[in-house]
Amino acid sequence: MLLHDTRLALRSLKRNPILSLLMIVTIAVGIAASMIAMTVYSARAGHPIPWKEDKLFAVTMDTRDEGPPPPGLPLRNYEYPPFTLGYQDAMAVYRSDIPRRSVVMYRTGQLVMPERANIKPFYVPVRVTTADFFAMFDVPFRYGGGWPRAADTTAEPVVVISKYLNDKLFGGVNSLGREITLGGRQFKIIGVLDAWMPHPRFYDLSGGGFDLPEDAFVPFEWVRAGKMFPQSISCVRRTSRVVNFESLFTEECLWLQSWVELADSAAHARFQDYVDNYVRDQKQRGRMPRPLNNRIVNVSTWLDMNNVVGDDTRMQVIVAVAFLVVCVLNTVGLILAKFLSAAPIAGLRRALGATRLDIVRQHLTEVVIMGLIGGALGLILSFGGLRLLHALIFSRGLETSDNPARLTLAQSFTHMDFSMLLLAVVLSVLTGILAGIYPAWRIGRLAPATFLKTQ
Amino acid sequence: MEIRALVSAMWRNRTGPILVAAQVAITLAVVVNMAYLIQQRLETAAKPTGIDINNIFWVHLEAIDPEYNYEAAVRADLDYLNALPGVIAAATSNGTPQAFYALGLPFAVSPEQLDKEGAHVARVFMANEHYLDALGLELIAGRNFESSVVAPPAQDVPSGIAAWAPEVIITKYMADKLFPDGNAVGKPLYVGLVNRSSTVVGVVKLLQGAPMPDEQFALSNVLVPMIPPGPDSFYIVRTEPGRRDATMARVEKELADRVPGRFLSRIEALEKTAAQARFTFRSSAIILSVIGVFVLAVTLVGITGLAAFNVTTRTRQLGTRRAIGARKFHILRYFIVENWIITSVGALVGCALALAAGIKLSTTYALPRLPLYFLVAGVVAIWILGLLAVVVPARRAASISPATATRTV
Repeated sequence: MLLHDTRLALRSLKRNPILSLLMIVTIAVGIAASMIAMTVYSARAGHPIPWKEDKLFAVTMDTRDEGPPPPGLPLRNYEYPPFTLGYQDAMAVYRSDIPRRSVVMYRTGQLVMPERANIKPFYVPVRVTTADFFAMFDVPFRYGGGWPRAADTTAEPVVVISKYLNDKLFGGVNSLGREITLGGRQFKIIGVLDAWMPHPRFYDLSGGGFDLPEDAFVPFEWVRAGKMFPQSISCVRRTSRVVNFESLFTEECLWLQSWVELADSAAHARFQDYVDNYVRDQKQRGRMPRPLNNRIVNVSTWLDMNNVVGDDTRMQVIVAVAFLVVCVLNTVGLILAKFLSAAPIAGLRRALGATRLDIVRQHLTEVVIMGLIGGALGLILSFGGLRLLHALIFSRGLETSDNPARLTLAQSFTHMDFSMLLLAVVLSVLTGILAGIYPAWRIGRLAPATFLKTQ
Repeated sequence: MEIRALVSAMWRNRTGPILVAAQVAITLAVVVNMAYLIQQRLETAAKPTGIDINNIFWVHLEAIDPEYNYEAAVRADLDYLNALPGVIAAATSNGTPQAFYALGLPFAVSPEQLDKEGAHVARVFMANEHYLDALGLELIAGRNFESSVVAPPAQDVPSGIAAWAPEVIITKYMADKLFPDGNAVGKPLYVGLVNRSSTVVGVVKLLQGAPMPDEQFALSNVLVPMIPPGPDSFYIVRTEPGRRDATMARVEKELADRVPGRFLSRIEALEKTAAQARFTFRSSAIILSVIGVFVLAVTLVGITGLAAFNVTTRTRQLGTRRAIGARKFHILRYFIVENWIITSVGALVGCALALAAGIKLSTTYALPRLPLYFLVAGVVAIWILGLLAVVVPARRAASISPATATRTV
């Protein structure tokens, strides 16, 4: 029966080749636009560490001044507290023993001096962090491991380097125990990471969140010992006075990320209390004038607060879906026209004994086949479109970096995975059915006699 | 003209027209808002900068020797660069405008105003006496910095900012905002974070810090006379027209080796930096235009398709009309008016949709409301394009010979 329906459908498609082609192309471009937009969207909307969704929490406190947002700053979602903490507040979080693990950290840039003469000195992004970073974010090691907590307070000269840095400096061999010069100081390598690319880089979303992790990680006390100035710092309070490097620790400047790993929701509640009480205590001392607004949020909420997906990406999906709707409406009109012009044949089939359901089914088959062909064509188009998007937009700046992970990162935005392919198939069948259901029903309802008379 | 007959005929076969009208409505809503967004993006990218962008390059040097004498090196480098043939001026600074690098500080006329009205946040560029020439900025009031007032390099950025400077030059945009009753020159300007005041000695006509939609963020810039803290050096060099690339090549070859213990890490034409800063605006404008064109194209195909179908199914009826006296012109007019009514109904619904989408858009992107002339232009465009889409099938309809009516199909 299906075979028969398919044969009839193909014959009907061939009867009006131009009209059929037009419909298929319309469906194809609609699906292609939607697939392109959704691929980019899903690349940005992914969860980097789903298995720790109910364990990992970013810590924020509302340390801002009272009053309206300062004019001129493009502040989004002013209801949220700032995304970074000042030194004394971050340390207060770190002192709590409620979390199983706790990380205080920031990003800086430091000059690496290679021993080999044929490589010029170069800057690498460096993360200055407390010891729990690696265990907390499940960072994979190739060789060695992180440092003990004790190293955080003594500024031990140890470093964990990325796979890229190990490849570049040591040709990828086990470099444990060797030394590198970072910011003019010698550090002993105690760990080498495996390929690791949290996408987005949720633990530090400054700069949009779609960047590679740092290439070197050093114990937290190096902030003082090495005077490693943070890459981004904001001194928010009107009373802040910045006079020298020490101001980082004494003034109301925000530059630290704080994350905690909590065992369960009871621990979360206790920790929330702990932070709230800390802030209440600070209020007594004349700090933090705003109403209590401390958010200890899981990774999904954190990504959402930071608008990682981005307004443009979201709008492109909306527009692409609107476009697909226009394409479907268009196809409905064209299919209706086509079916009605072939109504006498349907009438003849009814007269020869086909039931109403047969007619509807046969016409729906035709439309679904068209949807599938359109979907296949749409997939090809979207592969092309994504290639083009990669070449025009995402591959920008790749030539200035010798880190192969950059290319992987760039390609991730235009990579269609299996679930996307599945979505494309579902979308094309759905498009076909949506476009065909009304015309098929109309045809099925027609009385056969009307057409037989005019023959 | 038989409008009522036309409408009632259309109503009897309403599915097709309703589908086309719905398409027109969505298309209008999408295209009008896309066009507005594209215009905003392109406008942001094309705003004047006040900088002689095409004839400037910048160069960044990294010191690697602990014994490196930064201050002496800066003086020697500036002498060398300013003496190069073809160079108009070279200055040292903490970074170039048109990049997204930013050192932002809170400014006000007085501490009281800062407390009461909040800060006027502005970018801070460290400058010397050659800075205005090195960027090609136009001074419209007051004077330039004297070389004697340019502070020597501080230990690090915080202490440099903390020491501040006795005088500053600001942009006209900022002068107009902070000193609305006229002359800013000679007035004190208060810097919040470091609790200092300095005198405004000059006003430049325009300096766009970075291409951003928000005017205040783009155009509020303060020049402060100080050599940036080392040990890395950053120079901005402006050449005579046409001599930029040659000078760049020479500087890349010679500059770093003039003082030992350092290397040149980056040298780039400001034109390229500026283009990169505009990249996101341009690329999103391109994507939006492509989508907009596709939406329009599909809708026009829909209009043509419906009209063509109507012509086919009405062949006998049209032949009859021709046989009983209708002229080609009447047939043509019939189709055009029918189509016009469909697109107009669609456009009417589309206007409501477009306005609703426009409100959402303006809150998301903090843009001014969708201007009404965009909507008017959109409706007119839809009318014209709809007319063009129906002309071919309508002419085919008009050319049906009256004899058709006498034949059976």
